Amino acid sequence: MKGYIGEFEELVLLTVASLSESAYGNSIKEQIEARTDRSISLGALHATITRLEEKNYLKSRLGEPTQERGGRRKRFFEVTHQGKVALHHIKELREDLWKLSKATLSLAK
Amino acid sequence: MKPHPPKLADKLLEWCAQHAPIEDLQGDAHENFYRNLTHMSAARAKADYWKNTLSLIFSYALKKRKKNAAYPHYSSNLFQLTMFKNYFVIATRSLIKHKFFTAINVMGLAVGMSIGLLFIAMMSFLWTYDNFHTNKDRIYRVISKTDDKQRNREFASAPAALADKLSHDISGVEAVVRVNSTLSVNAKKDNNEIPLNGYFVDPVFLNVFSFPLTKGNPHTALNKPNGVVITESAATKLFNQEDPLGKVIELTNLGLVEITGVLQNIPKNSHMQFEVLAPYEAFVNLNRNQPTAPVDDVWEHRNSYVYLFLSPKSTLDQIQDFLNRIPKNSYTQKANYEIGYELQALPAIAPGRELYNDIGPDWSYASLSIFLVLTLLILIPACFNYANISISRALKRMKEIGLRKTLGGTRQHIFSQFIIETILITFLAFGFSCYIFILVRKEFLSMIVGGSSTLSLNLDARSITAFILFALVVGLIAGAVPATYFAKLNPIQALKLQPIGKGIAKFNLRKTLIVLQFALSLGFIMGVVTVISQYRYTVNFDFGFNQKNILDVALQGVNPQHAKNEFAKLAAVKSISMSSGIIGSSASETIWVKNATADSTEVAQFYADGSFLDNLHLTLLAGKTFADDSLSKEWVIVNEQFLKSFKLPTPASAIGQRITLPNGNELTVIGVVKDFHYTDLRSPIRSFFFRYNPQEFRYANLNLTSTDLIETVGGIEASWKKLDTEAKFAAQFFDDEIEESYSFYFVIVKLFGFLGMLAITISCLGLLGMVVFTVENRMKEIGVRKVMGASTLNITVVLSKDFVKLMLLAALIAIPIGYVFFNNLYLQTQYYHITVGFTEIAGSLLILFVLGLSTIFSQTIKAARVNAVDTLRCE
Repeated sequence: MKGYIGEFEELVLLTVASLSESAYGNSIKEQIEARTDRSISLGALHATITRLEEKNYLKSRLGEPTQERGGRRKRFFEVTHQGKVALHHIKELREDLWKLSKATLSLAK
Repeated sequence: MKPHPPKLADKLLEWCAQHAPIEDLQGDAHENFYRNLTHMSAARAKADYWKNTLSLIFSYALKKRKKNAAYPHYSSNLFQLTMFKNYFVIATRSLIKHKFFTAINVMGLAVGMSIGLLFIAMMSFLWTYDNFHTNKDRIYRVISKTDDKQRNREFASAPAALADKLSHDISGVEAVVRVNSTLSVNAKKDNNEIPLNGYFVDPVFLNVFSFPLTKGNPHTALNKPNGVVITESAATKLFNQEDPLGKVIELTNLGLVEITGVLQNIPKNSHMQFEVLAPYEAFVNLNRNQPTAPVDDVWEHRNSYVYLFLSPKSTLDQIQDFLNRIPKNSYTQKANYEIGYELQALPAIAPGRELYNDIGPDWSYASLSIFLVLTLLILIPACFNYANISISRALKRMKEIGLRKTLGGTRQHIFSQFIIETILITFLAFGFSCYIFILVRKEFLSMIVGGSSTLSLNLDARSITAFILFALVVGLIAGAVPATYFAKLNPIQALKLQPIGKGIAKFNLRKTLIVLQFALSLGFIMGVVTVISQYRYTVNFDFGFNQKNILDVALQGVNPQHAKNEFAKLAAVKSISMSSGIIGSSASETIWVKNATADSTEVAQFYADGSFLDNLHLTLLAGKTFADDSLSKEWVIVNEQFLKSFKLPTPASAIGQRITLPNGNELTVIGVVKDFHYTDLRSPIRSFFFRYNPQEFRYANLNLTSTDLIETVGGIEASWKKLDTEAKFAAQFFDDEIEESYSFYFVIVKLFGFLGMLAITISCLGLLGMVVFTVENRMKEIGVRKVMGASTLNITVVLSKDFVKLMLLAALIAIPIGYVFFNNLYLQTQYYHITVGFTEIAGSLLILFVLGLSTIFSQTIKAARVNAVDTLRCE
C-alpha cells in the first residue's frame, strides 16, 4: 500500500486537522498529551511531522514572531488534500473491519 | 527572578544544527518550558527542557533540515537552465579541443551502436508481427508436444484429424482452419514453368485471417475444389497486367484450376508466407488419388497446422481442457509415441518459442537471444572503451572539476555535467551509426535466411523513437562510470592535480578491458579463418567420385531416352548417364528395407542408370551395373556400408541377396560399389543403394571432353532445343553445384567477418586511446631517456612492451576457448570436418597482431622520434 500511515502519524494528522488554524508544534503536543494521557517528546513529534511533510500529507508556513517565544516564529501546519485522502482511506478500512467483526467485538458479556 | 531555559542546551542544539533553521523548534521548546513552569518546579522544567532538546538533536526532523541546508540555496536547484547551457558549452569546447579523442570515442561508439540499431530495428519490426489481423485476439494455433521416449519435442504443427474433433465435439470454437503447407507446384505458362508455393486451406481461412482480396469474393473463393486464390505478385508473374480472375491455369499435380480470387500481397510481418491458396479439399483428393500414400496420413502432424477461431465468450481453459483430455496416443500409429496439444495465441507465434516444423520464418526467442548476446558483446566493449578513455584522460579535466566543486558544484552537478557530455558524444556517434546502419542493412537482411521477404528494416516512427531512446541509454551507460569517477573527486586533490588513490586498481581494470576486447576480436577472427578453411576443405574433399567436366542438365520432364539420343550425337560428350538427383550435394531420400535375416534398416536410395557408375568413376567391387532394361527395376547396387548393416562378409556374398521394400516388393542385389559420399558432408556414409527407374530420372550427366567448355555447352543447348520441350535449358557443372551447396559457409564468413570487423575496430580504437594517453604522459620521460642516449628503437620497445604483453595475454585466453568452441561447432554442423589446427590459429594471431601492433607502433614510433629539446625545454 502506498503511503502507509502509522498509528502515531494518524494521531498527529488528526490533531493537526482538529486544531485547524492554530496547529503548531507545541499545540499539537499538548493536544495529544491531553487526549491520550501519554507524554511525548518534541523530537519524536517533529520527526513524525517531518515524515508526514515528506509524504506530502502536511504543509507548513512560518507565522509571526511572538513575545512568548523570545521572538521566535511559530511554524503552523495544515493537512493537505493528499493527507485528507489518506485519512479517509484509513477510516474506511477501520469501518469495514468493524462492520465485519461486530459479533466478536461486542463488549456485552 | 524568572527561571530561564538552560542556555547550554540551546547552544548545544544550535551547534548541532549547524546552518539548519531551527527557530521554530527552539521556539516550541521554550514555549513548552514556560508552560511547564506553571505546574512544576523550575528544576523539573529544566530537566524536561534538556530531554526535549536532546530528543530534537537526535530526531529525524533535525537530520532532514541539516541535509536540506547542506548546500547553499543558490546551488541546490539541480536543473537550472543556465548551468545546462554552461555544461553544453564546456562539453562542446572540450570536444573540439581534443579532436583526436573525440573522433576515437565517436567512432568506437558509432560502430558499437550500429549493431544495436540493427537489433532494435529488427525487434521493432518483429513487434508488429501478425498485428494486422483484425481477429488476432481470438485466433489460436494448436501446437503438438511429442514424446517418443527418447526426447520431447514441440511442433508448430498438429494432425489435421484433430480439426474434425475440435469442430464437432466442443462448443466455443467458431471456426477451425486446417492449413497444409505442402502446396508447392509449378504453373505452366507459355514455355515456362513458374514455381508457386502456398497452402491448402479450409475455405473459412479468408474470413478468419485478414488477408484481404482485391478481386473475388472471400466467402466463396475457395469453395470450389479447383478454384485457387493467388497473390498480386504471383498474378503479375503469371499474367502480367491482364485480369487474372476467372483464368484457368495448369498446375503440376493439381491439374487445371481456376483463379477465383486475387489477394493483396502478404505483408512481410505475417508468420504465414504464401503465393497461392488452394482448397483443402484439393489436398484430400490429391492424397486419395495416390495409392502409394500411407493410410495413416491423416494422423501425420508434419506440415499440417490447425488454427482455431474462438467465439468471443469461450474461455481458453475450456478448450485447453478439451485438448488435454484427448488421449496422448490417439493420433499416432507408432508405438511409444505420445502427442499432447496446447493452444498458442496468434500474437505469441512470432517472435515466440522455438518449435519444430514451423510454418513460416523462425523468430524464436532462442535465436533472437543469440543475436542479443552478439549485440551486447560488441556494444558493451564500445561503452567500456568510452569509460576507459575518459577516465584515463581525467588529469586534463581535474582543475576544472576542482574549481567547480570549490565554487559550490555538488556531486550531482559534476555527475550530470559528464553525463550530458557523454550524451552529446553518443548523439554524434548516433549520427554515424545511423549511416553505418543504412549501409549494412541490406547486406544484413541477405544474411538472415529468408530475411528479405519476412523482415523489413525500414525506419518508421517507432523504430526512430526506439533509436533515440537507445542512444540516450547508451549515453547513460557509457557515461555513468566516468561521471561517478569525476563526481567523487576531492576538490583539494583535484586542484593539486593528484589523481585519486585507486590509480593502480583503475589501471588494472582498463588492462582487463583491453585484454577481454582483444580476446573477443581474436575469437571472431578465428571464426572467419576457420570457416574459410572448413569451406576449402569441403569443396576439395575427395567425395570418392569424379566431378570434373560433368555437366548436369535438368531434364524438366523430357523423356530421358530422347535426351540421351540427342546429346549422344555431340562429339564433345564422352558419355551420358541419368540420375534422380545431384549426388554429393543434398540430403537423399531414405527408405526402410529388410532382408530375410536382418531387421529393417534405413537405407538412402538414389536412382541412376547403368552408365552412371562409369561416368562418375565409381568402383564396382563385385557384380555388374544396371542393364537399362525393365528388368533392372528390380535390381539394386549397394555400397560397402550396406554390407556391414546387413552383416554380409564379402562383396561377392552380397550378390543375389533379396531385400524387401516396405510395400512388399523384392529387389535383388546385383552389384557392390565402393563407399563414396552420396550425400553432403554433414552426415557420415551410411547404407545406400542405387536403383533403376527411368521415371525417376531428373538429370542427364554429360561427361565432356575438356577442350572448349563454352562451345560445348552452346552445342548442348542447341541440341536441347531440338528436343520436344518448352522448358528452358538448365544445366550446371557438377563441381559448381557441389560448391554452391556449401555456400552457406559464406554467410557465416560474412557474419563473423562483420562482427569481427566491429569488434576489432572497437578494440583497436580503445588500444589507440590508451597508447596515446600513455605516450602523452611519458613525453618527459622519453626526452630524458633520449638525452641519456636511448635510441629510437629502445624507446619504441619501452613504450610498446606493456601493450604487446596485454595482446599476448588476450591471445592466451582466446586460443583455448576458440579452439574448443570452433571444434565443437564444426563437429555439430558437419560430420567430415576440419580440426582447428596450427595454421588456423597462427593465421588468426597474425591478423590480430598486424592490426594491434600497427595501432601501437603508429603512436610509439612517432613519440620516440620527437626531439628531446621540445619536451624538455620548459624544465
